[in-house]
Amino acid sequence: MENFAFAPAYELPAWPFVPPPELGSPQTVRHPIVIVGAGPSGLTLACDLAQRGVRAVLLDEDDTVGVRGASSRGICYAQKSLEIFERLGIYERIAAKGITWSLGRTFSGEQEVYSFNLQAESVSRQPPFINLQQFYIEWFLVERILELGLTDVRWKSRVTRIEPLSDGVRIDIETPAGNYTIEADRLIDATGANSPIRTQLGIDAHASRSTDRWCISDVRFKKPLPTERWTWVDAPFNEGRGVWQHLMADGVWRIDYQMPEDCDTAHISRPEVAGARLREQLGPGVEFEFVWIGPYGYRDHLLDSFRHGRVFFIGDAAHVVSPFGARGGNSGIQDAANLGWKLALVVQGRANDALLDSYDAERQRAAKENLKVTSRSARFLAPRSPAEHTLRRAVVALAARHPFARALVNTGRMSVANDYPPAPQLPEGARTVQNLPLRWADGRETTLMQLLAEGTQCLGLWLAPTRAEARAALDATAPLPLRLLAIDGDSGLPALQADETLVRHLGLCDAGSFVLVRPDAYRAATLPQATPDAIATALRTALALDHHAP
Amino acid sequence: MMITEPRIPDPDGFYAALLAAHEGLGEAQSADLNARLVLLLANQCGDQAVLLACIHAAAEDPTTTPETP
Repeated sequence: MENFAFAPAYELPAWPFVPPPELGSPQTVRHPIVIVGAGPSGLTLACDLAQRGVRAVLLDEDDTVGVRGASSRGICYAQKSLEIFERLGIYERIAAKGITWSLGRTFSGEQEVYSFNLQAESVSRQPPFINLQQFYIEWFLVERILELGLTDVRWKSRVTRIEPLSDGVRIDIETPAGNYTIEADRLIDATGANSPIRTQLGIDAHASRSTDRWCISDVRFKKPLPTERWTWVDAPFNEGRGVWQHLMADGVWRIDYQMPEDCDTAHISRPEVAGARLREQLGPGVEFEFVWIGPYGYRDHLLDSFRHGRVFFIGDAAHVVSPFGARGGNSGIQDAANLGWKLALVVQGRANDALLDSYDAERQRAAKENLKVTSRSARFLAPRSPAEHTLRRAVVALAARHPFARALVNTGRMSVANDYPPAPQLPEGARTVQNLPLRWADGRETTLMQLLAEGTQCLGLWLAPTRAEARAALDATAPLPLRLLAIDGDSGLPALQADETLVRHLGLCDAGSFVLVRPDAYRAATLPQATPDAIATALRTALALDHHAP
Repeated sequence: MMITEPRIPDPDGFYAALLAAHEGLGEAQSADLNARLVLLLANQCGDQAVLLACIHAAAEDPTTTPETP
């Protein structure tokens, strides 16, 4: 029998536990924002707030990134997430370390039946996807948070109990140096799929568990394969079941094998069993070493509401979907970016608590959509009856010959920045604005994310306003968080150069048209013929502000 | 709108061709053929509302629907 080697384990950083001032103090200190859980969503939120100059306490029960001894977990980071990371200042590190890709191919047997190129629809400076082991993302976020210096990161601090109060939350914390209690105006639960806070509060997550079984093999080998997302609906080298193949950083491939539902999970993840599978796929003569092997089954859940009074749920604590399409981690990161600017404005007294309700309205809907989309992929990949197998066989057979059927092949619909439906704060609904490369009138380069990286304000992009309009609009919006910019024209406002891509992507048309972009790079309003009053009204609406208050 | 008035120019010829295509096939092969045919026809229709109406109509199997008095 062939012997299979294991690579040395990843060397993860660790940060020291520092006894906080509250330990041993008789006073209960109140903090404006406490985030529990330093995974991708909790760290993104802490970093987003710090970037905006807002302090928070971040509690985590561990002192490192990733899950000790476990796999790398998430691997695919979508354009919207990458744009958020550009705004937070860690994108360059991610791009340098990760694997950029935009092409996906799906095979049935030996034949390619479907492919997509996500680059085709992109106008962003960021690529459609970068693959990177999740702990690297967390690692870069922690270092950026420490560099920004506004977040009180408390490692080895486990929340044992919370108590919702009328105006905040009481939090009991266990540490190696003893227990203590703090209070928060607002608590954000980012503790992940098994949230103890959610359990303690008795909130039903409507969980369901799939019987589909997979085995992850993270493996390093020398055989040159394209850096594309390859999926097999029915791979000849996996007894006709599904296989996923992705490259991550450090030359590590993630190969995911679908297993029989009734498989013995311990058996299928033994090195000699996983190694034999891999040998069949790679052929003889390709040397490889394992980085990690592990079985998994997936589940899903979705909270009815992501806000319970002063407690907010983000990421896996709020929603879990099957992994097909990379909609889990990415939506957690986007939850954080949705909540970050709203919390910042509320904490700074520039918006009211009502704005925070829109976090639930927008992100719960996004999660619901993601659940629907990923459930359909999961069902295509694991047919539940002979009839479903028959239909899938028909789809795959036709897809090999006819383009129309390729649209029915569903090995995951890749994560997108979800549209938000019309709502009181979003009369037109909202869609993402990509990170357009921009140029100031004097030729200097910038991007939308760079414009949004400082402070917390909406961007008003106005196509060639007149001087009088521009002055009146500055007056009308003076106390509000708005950065007003012109595109072309001679208005006296700071001006960007117009180009066709920019104008088309923003949905601008004639001189005088206007787009309001929120701090999370969602388009909140389009005004075909903007007036100063209409701009002020659109801004107040987007921020859920009383129309009569200053 | 799902069309339920006759539209097939040569109904008997169509039916005969359909039977001929199934001739000599086992149950599973016939099911595969039907599934491919449904998908091809669905793309000819290309109207989401009509497709959903057809799925609905097909799911209402008259042989199992209780008769109304």
